[in-house]
Amino acid sequence: MRRRAFLKRFGAYAALIFAAATPYGLVRLLAPKVYADPHRHIPLPGALPDIDAFNRACIGCGLCGEVCPPRCVEFEKREGADGLNTPYIDPAKKACILCNKCMEVCPTDALTITPIREIDMGIAQIDRAACYPWVGEGICGACVAICPLGEEAIGFEFANIYKPAVREGCVGCGQCVEVCPEPSLPIWIVNRSEGTVAKHGVAARRRSY
Amino acid sequence: MIAKPVILRHLNKLRWLVLTSIFLMLVLLPFIHLYQTYVAAHAYDLLYPNEKLIYDSMEWLTAPFVSDAEHDLDVIKGTTWSGNLFGLQISDPLAVLSQISASLSIYWPFVLTALVPLVVTAVLGRVFCGWICPATFIYELNDTLAGWLRRAGVPLGDKEFDKRTKYLVLAVGLVLSMLLGSVVTAAIYPPAIIGRELYYAIAQGGFGVGAVFFILTILFDLLVARRGFCRYVCAGGALYSLLGRYRLLRIQRVVSQCNDCKKCNVVCEFGLDPLQDGFGQECNNCTACIAVCPTDALEFRIAIKDIPYQGPGHLGQTYRRAEKAEAES
Ligand code: SF4
Ligand code: SF4
Ligand code: SF4
Ligand code: SF4
Repeated sequence: MRRRAFLKRFGAYAALIFAAATPYGLVRLLAPKVYADPHRHIPLPGALPDIDAFNRACIGCGLCGEVCPPRCVEFEKREGADGLNTPYIDPAKKACILCNKCMEVCPTDALTITPIREIDMGIAQIDRAACYPWVGEGICGACVAICPLGEEAIGFEFANIYKPAVREGCVGCGQCVEVCPEPSLPIWIVNRSEGTVAKHGVAARRRSY
Repeated sequence: MIAKPVILRHLNKLRWLVLTSIFLMLVLLPFIHLYQTYVAAHAYDLLYPNEKLIYDSMEWLTAPFVSDAEHDLDVIKGTTWSGNLFGLQISDPLAVLSQISASLSIYWPFVLTALVPLVVTAVLGRVFCGWICPATFIYELNDTLAGWLRRAGVPLGDKEFDKRTKYLVLAVGLVLSMLLGSVVTAAIYPPAIIGRELYYAIAQGGFGVGAVFFILTILFDLLVARRGFCRYVCAGGALYSLLGRYRLLRIQRVVSQCNDCKKCNVVCEFGLDPLQDGFGQECNNCTACIAVCPTDALEFRIAIKDIPYQGPGHLGQTYRRAEKAEAES
């Protein structure tokens, strides 16, 4: 009889724990992991550099989105159950204007105030097989004209005056991506480590920090 | 006989006013953000007609208070999960606790943002649940709807579960946050869900997965257990209950005034037992029982512990019968 009582109690506790875990399982089922296109999911300015650390710190409050003047901050609403409700930027839709507001408002250490030249959202990369001037389809340079950091971040190649090239000072805000008129989007943001600036041998101006 | 200030009866109405205004605020804030972005873009002429409508109405609403809409309107931002009120940052203690367990480190500026809720909870108990939570606003309306449906003869569930489940939900959530390295409690915490889903829906064009979960909780309350989510599942409610266990201000029964009519028990959305002095840590001081009590037998008292069961109410049948029997013997 004792054994029976024990089993009963054990069963009750097991049921209780199962019931407690159910809501979490439910949400994970509702939000299956979808691997996002990295070109269209760049981190916010001032974000912790490691994406896992960022997911650990962010509470998904949405404040960063709610203060962003260009409304460029989007949230992982369905994609990615681990980073659920964490923010990202899709520069092709709307790019960051480096105004600092999100870093000021973030209550956690997910975003911290960072001087503009030390922001590292990635680095722009140009596909020279698609960009208008690089393929000889006329004069463009919209990306160069809009860059908030100017010559440090993107400029024309010395001899090829209309062909844009990214430089070391780029912080990856993505304004060039947003403005680019070429439908195939020959410019996008990649992780700094994957950038091709060095490979192309562009006269790099070191970042001043 | 205890003379009670008449205002106690009206606190429940005040509570509804507070709940409604907070909910409306959460609806208004995303519109305000939309308006701010339109202002920042200096693009009034390029807006679609419906966007112009938003612009114009928000301008009309906010113009008396601000001169520079783009910046001045930043003074109120966020949700009940974490927000900014005129420079004061306030976060839900659950957000802080979950973030600590997710990151296994303490970021003090963030922890301090939970100070105000912590102090308020220590004094007033689970008051967030009854007075502020935007989900309570919807759940109570849902409960009213359930009442109407029952009266119309629709059979709805009224199951009872173990109230301790929610403490386990909280514990499971904190452990999962640690294991998964993300603040998972936010995914199943209705007030956090409502705030951000309203923002998603209004300012970003589309609900997220949280909306689906929230609808499931409404159906659970409607079809399975009355106010079931708050009673049995809510991790935040569990945390507030624990924090408010030794609250200073609590509702208590004045046994000499009570007539055992049971109205307080019926009206208590959290399924507590005021009739038998069963308030406990889960009472959220919502004052619904005070408002409904016909004999003013419930009052606020300053104490860190509940009065133990005081027996049947002295105006009730049971007590009077017992009195009579005693007198006759
Ligand atoms: S820095 Fe400004 S523009 Fe960029 S994401 Fe933050 S709030 Fe938006
Ligand atoms: S403000 Fe900070 S904590 Fe809130 S969603 Fe943005 S990054 Fe996350
Ligand atoms: S090159 Fe593009 S991404 Fe880099 S700073 Fe300039 S505009 Fe921003
Ligand atoms: S805006 Fe696009 S097409 Fe134009 S120069 Fe820049 S990368 Fe090339």
